[in-house]
Amino acid sequence: MEKVTPPPVGNVEILEALTAESIQQILESYNGFCSTTETLLNGARNLSVGPELVSHVRTLCTHGLHSLVIDHFLRALEVTFERDGVPQFWQHFDAYSDINHICENEVQGVLCKALEEICLEKQYQEKCLLMLVNALQTCKDNFSEGRWNSDAERAHLFSKYQLIVSSVLLSSLPPHFTEILHWYFKRRLEELSTTVDGEFKEEHEFEDRDEMDLDEKCKHRASGMDIDECQSQGNFSENNRLVKKIGKVVRDLRSLGFTSMTEDAYASAIFLLLKVKVHNMAGDDFRSSVLQSIKWWIQAVPLQFLNALLAYLGDTVTYDSPSGFKSPLANRSSFCYPGIDTPSEGLIRWELRLEYFAYETLQDLRIGKLFEIIVDYPESLAAIEDIKQCLEYTGQHSKLVDSFISALKYRLLTAGASTNDILHQYVSTIKALRTIDPTGVFLEAVGEPIRDYLRGRNDTIKCIVTMLTDGTGGNPNGSVNTGDSLLEELNRDEENQENVDLEDDFNTDDRQAWTNAVCWEPDPVEAEPLKGSRNRRKVDILGMIVGIIGSKEQLINEYRVMLAEKLLNKSDYDIDSEIRTLELLKIHFGESSMQRCEIMLNDLIDSKRTNTNIKATINKPFQTDTDALETGASLDIVNATIISSNFWPPIQDEALLVPDPVDQLLSEYAKRFHEIKTPRKLLWKKNLGTVKLELQFEDRAMQFMVAPIHAAIIMHFQDQTSWNSENLATAVGVPVYVLDRRINFWISKGIVAESLGANANEHVFTLAEGVVDTNKSGGSNGSCEEPLVGDDEGERSMASVEDQMHKEMTVYEKFILGMLTNFGSMALDRIHNTLKMFCIGDPPYDKSLQQLQGFLIGLVSEEKLELRDGMYFLKK
Amino acid sequence: MATINGYQGNTPVTAPAGTASKQPVSAAKTVDTQSVLKRLQSELMALMMSGDPGISAFPEEENIFCWKGTITGSKDTVFEGTEYKLSLSFPNDYPFKPPKVKFETGCFHPNVDVYGNICLDILQDKWSSAYDVRTILISIQSLLGEPNISSPLNTQAAQLWSNQEEYRKMVEKLYKPPPSA
Repeated sequence: MEKVTPPPVGNVEILEALTAESIQQILESYNGFCSTTETLLNGARNLSVGPELVSHVRTLCTHGLHSLVIDHFLRALEVTFERDGVPQFWQHFDAYSDINHICENEVQGVLCKALEEICLEKQYQEKCLLMLVNALQTCKDNFSEGRWNSDAERAHLFSKYQLIVSSVLLSSLPPHFTEILHWYFKRRLEELSTTVDGEFKEEHEFEDRDEMDLDEKCKHRASGMDIDECQSQGNFSENNRLVKKIGKVVRDLRSLGFTSMTEDAYASAIFLLLKVKVHNMAGDDFRSSVLQSIKWWIQAVPLQFLNALLAYLGDTVTYDSPSGFKSPLANRSSFCYPGIDTPSEGLIRWELRLEYFAYETLQDLRIGKLFEIIVDYPESLAAIEDIKQCLEYTGQHSKLVDSFISALKYRLLTAGASTNDILHQYVSTIKALRTIDPTGVFLEAVGEPIRDYLRGRNDTIKCIVTMLTDGTGGNPNGSVNTGDSLLEELNRDEENQENVDLEDDFNTDDRQAWTNAVCWEPDPVEAEPLKGSRNRRKVDILGMIVGIIGSKEQLINEYRVMLAEKLLNKSDYDIDSEIRTLELLKIHFGESSMQRCEIMLNDLIDSKRTNTNIKATINKPFQTDTDALETGASLDIVNATIISSNFWPPIQDEALLVPDPVDQLLSEYAKRFHEIKTPRKLLWKKNLGTVKLELQFEDRAMQFMVAPIHAAIIMHFQDQTSWNSENLATAVGVPVYVLDRRINFWISKGIVAESLGANANEHVFTLAEGVVDTNKSGGSNGSCEEPLVGDDEGERSMASVEDQMHKEMTVYEKFILGMLTNFGSMALDRIHNTLKMFCIGDPPYDKSLQQLQGFLIGLVSEEKLELRDGMYFLKK
Repeated sequence: MATINGYQGNTPVTAPAGTASKQPVSAAKTVDTQSVLKRLQSELMALMMSGDPGISAFPEEENIFCWKGTITGSKDTVFEGTEYKLSLSFPNDYPFKPPKVKFETGCFHPNVDVYGNICLDILQDKWSSAYDVRTILISIQSLLGEPNISSPLNTQAAQLWSNQEEYRKMVEKLYKPPPSA
């Protein structure tokens, strides 16, 4: 609108019009201007020289020298400020150059005082500047007839002055000043935080009280609300005072040009405080979710602070519809704190920043402790939910994967960890990660190292099968209920299968298809495209566990051995839980693969029936009845488990001579069996089973559940109280070393004593204590109290899978040695192919190339073979 | 497996060109082949599991009708410390006919000629289907120590047999250990 006359052009015009007189006038007024400026700014600081200054300025301006005036005046201001204001200001902080020795109250006062002083100085200077501006303005008004834009000029001058002030201050900034600022804000925020916390606690206490006496609840609430409000208002005004104080400091700092430094300082103080808060709140307790309380705290402390601060500084720009930035919590905060109106855009930005930071901090903290959290699963579910929310917000899943894998490698996958523990942790990991990421993408990445490691352990299968089948868990202390959880998984699997059936149904109506389509979500970007889509990657714990082993056949084989062991040790025919487990396994692994196990269970059911039938024949006269009567034992006491040995895993065979009376009973049982089940015959496995027996001494009777060999041993002491080891071994029908091992059971019970015999190699076993011949063995009446279970030194009735494997491998070893004898040297795959071709007996060769290689390496280390240039030789 | 399939492939039974009249004959033959295979398989298993010292044999690659055998000279005989390779080839009607057994390594022995042919009654007229690879190998091993001087294939060896010390020297001189390939 208005044209600004460029001063140089004016100058040129003026120069042409200069006369000696006017030069004289100019010089005089310039000198006057300089001296009045000097007096105005320095020394007396007398504003009364104002009119004089104004007249000089006017004179100079009439000669078109206003730019000279301005330059000189600003220069004078700068010099004065630099000389007087700045050193004084910095002096205040000299004492605090070492941040460690800051005395709290003192520095707070000093900062305020220093700021006040320098601001006074600045205000004075600004007044002087204003005077000049006014002077310039009046003369301009006269001279140029309103062509001058006074407002623009004033703003221009003041911003120039502002620039001078801040540049002077910043150029002389001592390094510790930022620290002091930072420290100051930190302290103030902590102060604020404590008062808010106190408030929070009071509220909680009040709530507690509320809950305590329900009768007076209403009454209390009516009065309590008032108190509460008063309290919070009181606190709020207190907080407000504090915020105002801080606000003043911030404003002063801003006016000095420290805007960004100040913002940095309080922002970092806020973040630091938030971090500390998150750490304090989260801590090592994984049982409760902390995310909500952190959010609450963000609302209560930093946001309130910022809101008040921004409001105080007058930055708040109220938007009518801030929905674009509105955080879901904004409503709540305004409800809780009447001091906060509709949040400004700046505040919402802050809120988002703070929340993100809180999420990230909490996530980092939790991820660092993820291992412990998963150890505590499922108690730590709350923490896992927190992680899930944080990760949804921050999207840093890969951080979790990396950190967790390294924790696993360092803490779990070591020689010291038992396989059971690793499996337990694996299952927990699967469950926990399933919560965090239902698509299972990250689980795959995390599970890989565990699976690899477990494959290297030879008791993995056994542990898994125990976990699958044993409700009490495989480890002796029984504290882990993993078994339950895996059984539970089996159950869940069953449900899933049903669901799958439904889903696969082609007749699902279109609406369902539409819902599915709407629910579709892409896989996370980290997903490996090779590993199938999310639908196929359903997280299936059993599947993942079986995946460790590699093939379900191995698992089923191990299960069969374990089942056989369990069934053989049963004294009743109660197999309900086994049937249930088997049914579940059948669902998972298919009917046909569990067929042998089913036959085993059927054997038990048949045994029960056959056993009853045989018992029913007892009353009929039988030729050997007299013998049975002599021993005082009848067929009643024998219960047989009749197995179809073809379908059972190989059974450990151990010679055992059963004492005659019992042997007679057994053969009579077999005869009766043959009578009922002709042409089948019963072959006893005399070393298997359990014997319930009672030993009667003069003064006491003891009951035991023992293995047949133990019973056989102790029964021999019925007629002869002292045996030497060799004779006893012959009588029992076992080698001496076996006897020595087995009789330890009775020695440890204090029933048999061991002493050295005449011969050095010979041991004599004597029935301990005031011995009586009334020992009665062979299992007595059913009125047992608490039968002691004889611990069997880990004796097993079944050949374990390792034994079987070993047996198979010895066959292969012979074949390998045989072919190498005749062919000299062979490469790995030729051996493999040859075995595949010719080793087709029972069991046929079914190992993989890797397994064969492992086996060959074993033979090399046993010095049976040699490996040179990829060829295997016989070691000569 | 490949061998078995391959062998079947050579028999008329799998050839679709077979006429109706030929059918029963070839069927009978197949049964035979199957039982021969079975027999050889079980002989191999028995031999491997027996672990007799100094004798061994194994089917050559891809063909269970051709075996390689290895015999070491028994202790306290002139052949002590030597090792001989054999080849065994089984006829299609094994075990009703004996296998053809030859020394692959040169053997200075009264009953073994320069081509490795062996003069052993059980490999010719005294053969019985009760014999198997294991008994053949054991017989040959004992033949080394107890030759039949009355019907020699190698007369020089038969004449020298009486002088065991000289014979041992001759064995050592002529013995070429089989290359371990």
